[in-house]
Amino acid sequence: MRVKLEARDLVHSFNRQEALHRISFEVREGEFLSILGPSGCGKTTILRILIGLIIPDSGRVFKDGRDITFLPASRRNMGIVFQNYALFQNMTVLGNVEYALKFDKEKKARSRSLAEGIIEQVGLTEHLHKKPYKLSGGQQQRVAIARTLAMNPQVILFDEPMSALDAATRLTLREELKHIQKKFQSTMIYITHDQEEAFALSDRIMVMDKGGIEQLDTPQRILAEPGTDFVRDFVLNNLLIKTKSLVKYVKVEP
Amino acid sequence: MKNRPSLRYFSGPFKAFLGIFLLVSVLLPLLRMFANIGSVDPLAIIAGPRFKQAVIHSLTASAAATVISVALAWVFALCTLRTGMRFREILGVFGTLPMLIPSISHGMGLVFLLGANGLLTRLFNLSGSIYGLKGIVLGSVFYAFPVAFLMFSDILKYQDCSPYEAAAVLGIPRRRQFFSITLPYLRRPLVSVVFAVFTLIITDYGVPLIVGGRYATLPTLMYQEVIGLLHFGEGSVIGAFLLIPAAAAFIFDLLSRDRQSQGFVIQQTLPRKNKFRDAAALGYCLAVCFLIALPIGGFCLLVFAAKYPVDMSFSLANIERTLQMKAGRYLLNSLLIASGTAVLGTGISYALAYWTARTKGRFLKALHLISITSLAIPGLVLGLSYVLFFKGSFFYGSFAILILVNIVHFMASPYLMAYNSLGKLNIHLEEVGQTLGVGRFFVIRDVIIPQTRITILEMLSYFFVNCMMTISAVSFLAASRNRPVALLITQFETQLFFEGAAFVSVLILACNLTVKILIYLYKRKENYRDQPKRREKQRAAA
Repeated sequence: MRVKLEARDLVHSFNRQEALHRISFEVREGEFLSILGPSGCGKTTILRILIGLIIPDSGRVFKDGRDITFLPASRRNMGIVFQNYALFQNMTVLGNVEYALKFDKEKKARSRSLAEGIIEQVGLTEHLHKKPYKLSGGQQQRVAIARTLAMNPQVILFDEPMSALDAATRLTLREELKHIQKKFQSTMIYITHDQEEAFALSDRIMVMDKGGIEQLDTPQRILAEPGTDFVRDFVLNNLLIKTKSLVKYVKVEP
Repeated sequence: MKNRPSLRYFSGPFKAFLGIFLLVSVLLPLLRMFANIGSVDPLAIIAGPRFKQAVIHSLTASAAATVISVALAWVFALCTLRTGMRFREILGVFGTLPMLIPSISHGMGLVFLLGANGLLTRLFNLSGSIYGLKGIVLGSVFYAFPVAFLMFSDILKYQDCSPYEAAAVLGIPRRRQFFSITLPYLRRPLVSVVFAVFTLIITDYGVPLIVGGRYATLPTLMYQEVIGLLHFGEGSVIGAFLLIPAAAAFIFDLLSRDRQSQGFVIQQTLPRKNKFRDAAALGYCLAVCFLIALPIGGFCLLVFAAKYPVDMSFSLANIERTLQMKAGRYLLNSLLIASGTAVLGTGISYALAYWTARTKGRFLKALHLISITSLAIPGLVLGLSYVLFFKGSFFYGSFAILILVNIVHFMASPYLMAYNSLGKLNIHLEEVGQTLGVGRFFVIRDVIIPQTRITILEMLSYFFVNCMMTISAVSFLAASRNRPVALLITQFETQLFFEGAAFVSVLILACNLTVKILIYLYKRKENYRDQPKRREKQRAAA
């Protein structure tokens, strides 16, 4: 598979405290990559650098081989879905999805039909004219996803999108996310601190701790060969507790 | 996705404009006033008998009026928020009515009621003079009561009631609950209310000007020195002195706000049924509202009586005479100043609040602090600073200077309204816009402003209402061409044309009431629109 996104030697500090220590990794086209780690490990910083909301202290970001480190977020053709949805509460579901399309000269004329089509695909047609605050948490998150999908981004980033949802909704949304990825063939990068979520969704998982990468591999290989003690403790010990649900998603190779 | 126009290119000049605005309108005039103290011997002024006496008078009157208004307002707030009495909401709204007329009108109201020829004096054949300490305390209570009541209402609305429920389950007696739950919770906000009310009263000169008589307070002394005798140095010393209580209140508020910033869940409960308590509360609130209505009713009676107290038949002659004395033109001045201040003030304070609440960068904390500094500057002090700083410039004597001084004078509260409102919006909205290719300007226009439109309306109304009433800062700066209508009250009072003064008070009240009602109706419409389920239920019930 072709490399879609590449981070090379990323270093970044906040208030003189280094949040990322020379991080390098690649994301392949159409891949679902999860970045898994405890709070404060630097995963959200990576996400914000990739999308262009932060410029790293040093290091480079490449998309399709082109250096985009200093390119504004609006010109990267990437979308982001936040944990707290960040929906425009004064607009309807349709308004939220259609809003950015109206600013695109090419899509402006078809903005209504495009938005309606995407909303239908995330199963929210009956809520088209409702304001977001009248929807459940899961439905609101689907609006946020639809809003991002409407711009047809090549890469979608998710910043812990399910941590504000209840367990049942998370399970449903997880399935939908897989379905959406297959349908839209998008490259997805998913930030989470939930081991089960990362193993259930990902093609590959990047385990992080204290601003560095501990291991980047497929779920099967991480389970079979944890790279460091941290991976063993943080990932495997926690997963043991949830073994029953895990076997549904992962085949552990002998 | 293409790069859309953003505020990037405007943010530099925009920030520079706001920075210069704060420098020229707040910091430099104040520094000029302090520099002016050097022109006199401040120690000699402070040690002088007039100053000493004014300090004692001010402290005595303010302390007494603070205690009375805080106590009355606390009970009134408890009645409207912690009982099941009927007409709670309407009585609560009525309790804030005195906020819509200038403090000078409260003094006038007292004279109409309890002066030598006052309504009540004649009705009950009362003796004794209202002028002096008694008058100042009474007038100040009228003036400060609604402010204290609103502050207490806020405190009670956000009080967590779950400790009371826990105490009730544990069988802790009501009296113990008061000492172990209510008092510890109240301590800090109570000090805050007392500070605010005390500052409001001690820096007010409207009430003492009318009913003070020979009982000179610091603001009246300052007014006499500056306006009467053109002693700017002496005025500056008194101005600096008046900054002390306001600055103390400001610092206390700042410290307690920092400590209160931890969020907690608020559990509210409905009061238990108690017919006796509710009846007593209703009696108390009706009595307070009756007292509040008395001076306002007095104004109306005076305006429409042919010649009080000789001929009480209905007549429009007083209105005609007041209008002949150009009250209409001055009202237009006031409307122009108030509208200009409301629009520009709301724009500037909203922009400042957006900058400090929703962007990152250096100096934002300092900027936030400067933006709320005007809370600590009494209008009189600001007016004097402006006289000293702008005198001789083209700006002096224009409508623009009155608009500017009013913006600065009243900016802190609307700024805080916007700051809180903008701070509560989702922090990622602009970032979402950025990734979707929508510039910050469009996100502000299409998302941020619509979501804070009620706050913006409240800000507009706050500026407008206060500008219509204020006489403190503008009394130093207004010329005959740009004089606001509130200053006519002082003029008519000195000309002994009380009917005219009463009519002006009623005019101001009518303008402010109209604005308040319009905003209330808009808010109700918005709430109604957002609650279709309730509407459906109501329809079904109908």
